[in-house]
Amino acid sequence: MKVNKRAKRDAKQLFHLCLVNRLLAENRVRHVVQRVVTAGRRDGPAILSHFRRLLRLDRARHTAIIESVTVVPADVQAAIEAGLMRRYGPHVTTTFAYRPALIAGVRIQVGSDVYDGSVQARLTALEKSF
Amino acid sequence: MSNLLMEIEAQIAGARTAAARQNVGSIRELGDGVAKIEGLTDAMLNEMIDLGDGVTGLVLNLEETEVGVIILGDYTQLKEGDEARTTGKLLQVPVGKSLLGRVVNVLGQPLDGKGPIKSDISYPVEKIAPGIMRRRSVDQPVQTGIMAIDAMIPIGRGQRELIIGDRATGKTTICIDTIISQAELNKAAEAAGDSSYRPLYCIYVAIGQKQSTVARVIAVLEEAGAMPYSIIVSSAASDSAANQYLVPFAGAAMGEWFMDNGMDALIVYDDLSKHAVAYRQVSLVLKRPSGREAYPGDVFYLHSRLLERAARVGEKYGNGSLTALPIIETQAGDVSAYVPTNVISITDGQIYLETDLFYQGVRPAISVGLSVSRVGSAAQLKAMKQVAGQLKGELAQFRELAAFAQFGSDLDAKTQAQIDRGKRIMEIFKQTQYHPIPVEVQVAVIWAVQNGYVDRVPVPRVRAFQSTFMDFLVTRHVELLATIKREHTLSDALKAELKTVADAFTQTWT
Repeated sequence: MKVNKRAKRDAKQLFHLCLVNRLLAENRVRHVVQRVVTAGRRDGPAILSHFRRLLRLDRARHTAIIESVTVVPADVQAAIEAGLMRRYGPHVTTTFAYRPALIAGVRIQVGSDVYDGSVQARLTALEKSF
Repeated sequence: MSNLLMEIEAQIAGARTAAARQNVGSIRELGDGVAKIEGLTDAMLNEMIDLGDGVTGLVLNLEETEVGVIILGDYTQLKEGDEARTTGKLLQVPVGKSLLGRVVNVLGQPLDGKGPIKSDISYPVEKIAPGIMRRRSVDQPVQTGIMAIDAMIPIGRGQRELIIGDRATGKTTICIDTIISQAELNKAAEAAGDSSYRPLYCIYVAIGQKQSTVARVIAVLEEAGAMPYSIIVSSAASDSAANQYLVPFAGAAMGEWFMDNGMDALIVYDDLSKHAVAYRQVSLVLKRPSGREAYPGDVFYLHSRLLERAARVGEKYGNGSLTALPIIETQAGDVSAYVPTNVISITDGQIYLETDLFYQGVRPAISVGLSVSRVGSAAQLKAMKQVAGQLKGELAQFRELAAFAQFGSDLDAKTQAQIDRGKRIMEIFKQTQYHPIPVEVQVAVIWAVQNGYVDRVPVPRVRAFQSTFMDFLVTRHVELLATIKREHTLSDALKAELKTVADAFTQTWT
C-alpha cells in the first residue's frame, strides 16, 4: 500500500498518543484503531497500515526471542530473563523457541540486537574468515 | 593424574565463550540498487552493511524506523526479508604504490586481470579534507606539457583546475596529455638520478564512461609508458549509479595516501557532470527531496567536499600534494547551468574549451578569454613568466582587433602587426594530442615568438617552423635546454645564447 507523508505523520502522532510512560497501552491502541475505522477517512487504511508497522517495530523492541536446539532448563531461563531485564528494562517479554538449525548453543534477539552463541554462527564466522 | 583431569574439568566448566553482540535488520524494500532495511539501530552514516551472499551495502539514509542502503555489487540474489547486519566499518579502499599501473573498480578490486592487489593499507572513501592549518600555498608547478596551459593558465601542485567544455572538445585529451607529461618527467628524473625532483603520480577516475573510452585511455597510457605512474579507477556507464557516485571518492582516497606520505599526486575526475547525474539518481531512489533540475539540495556539498580534498599540505605534514583536474561537460556551451556554475565556484580556475575553436583547427581548443588559473601563476616557472607574461594580454588584444578587422577597414601598421603576431601565437599554441612538450622547449619557442623570429614566417608555415625549431633545439642544443631547466630563469647570458641559436636556425630554415 502506498503510504504518503501525511498518513505517516498522522500514524506517528496516533502512535505517540498510545504511549503511557513510553510503553504501549493496548486499550489506547484498540481505541485509536476503532476511531480511525469509524471516521471513514480516505487515507484511513494507509494510516492504519503505517500505524501497524510502528506497533510491530515497538513490539520487536520489547520482545526477546530466545532460540535454542534443546529445551532450556528453568534455572537457565530465569538467568537469561534476569540478564535481559537488567540490560533492556523490566518491560521485555521473553519468548523461547526451538530452532534445530543452530546445531548447539543459544541465540537471543531483542529488537535489532542479536547475541548469537550458537555453533551455527561460529561456523559461519569461520567460513567467512577463510 | 586425577588432579590434572580435575583441573582441566574445572577450567572447562569455568570457560565462557562470550557471544558477540550484533546489530541486525531485515530488508523491507529492494529495488534500483537501493534497499530499505528495518532495524539496524546502531548503523552509522557511510557504514558498510553485510547483506549476505558476499554483497555489501553502504548506509546513506538514517531514518526513524529504517535505514536507506545503496548496494555495491550484484543485488539480484537478495530478497525482501533477508537479514542484514552492521559491520562497524566505514567503506574503505586499498591504497598505496601497489595500485600504480593497475585498473581498479570502486572497491579497489582489480579489473585488469593482473592478479590481486598486494596492499595492506586501506583508506576510508569519505574523509574530511585537510584543514587550514595543515595547508600551505600552491607554489610548485604541474607541467602539463601543453604550451597554451603552461604559458597562460599555469597549474600548481595542490590546485583544483576545472576543465570545462562541450562534448568532443578535447577535455579528456588535455588530462591524458598531462598524465603522459608527468610520466615523461618522472622517467627523465629517474634516468638522470635527480633526487630533488618530486615525481607526480596520476589517478584517472572514469565516472560513467563507456567501457570502450576507458579501454582507449588505458591503451594510450600504456603506449606512452605512463601506466607505471598511474592508477585508473573506473565505474563505467553500465555500473550502478551507486558505484558511479562513489568512484571519485575512492580515487580521492587513493590520491590522499600519496599526499599524506609526502608525495605528489594528480587526480582527474572524468567527469563530474555524470557524477552529479548518478548522485541525483541515487538521491531520487532514496526519496530525498529534490531541488533545481531534480538534483538534491546537497549537490554543491557533494562536489565541494570531494574537491576540497585536493590540497598542498605543509612541511610539518609531509609536504605532499593532491592536484585535482575535474572535468565538466556543458550542453551547447552553457556554463551557467547548475552543476557547471557550482564546480566553477569551487575550483581555483577553469580551462574552457570551445567547440568553434576546435572545428577551426585550434587544438587544444582553449578559449583564452574565459580560461583562468587563480593560484597557478605563483607556481609558474620564472623563465616561463619572463617569456609568457604578456601573452594573454596580447592574445586578448588580437581577438579584439581581429573582430574589428572583419569590417574590412584599412588598418594602420601597428594594428596589422598586432594581428599578425596574434595569428602566429595562435598557431604556436596548436599542439598534436598525446605529445607533451617539455617546459624548457616551450620557453625557448615562446622566447623566439616574442622576439620576432616568427614574424617573417607565413602563418600557414608557423607550425612547420616551430616543429623544426624544436627538433633543432632538442638535437643540437641539449645543453642550452638543460641550463634553462636547471636555472629556472632566463639570465642575460641565456638570452644571448638563445639569440645566437635562433639566429643560426632562421638562417638555415627555409
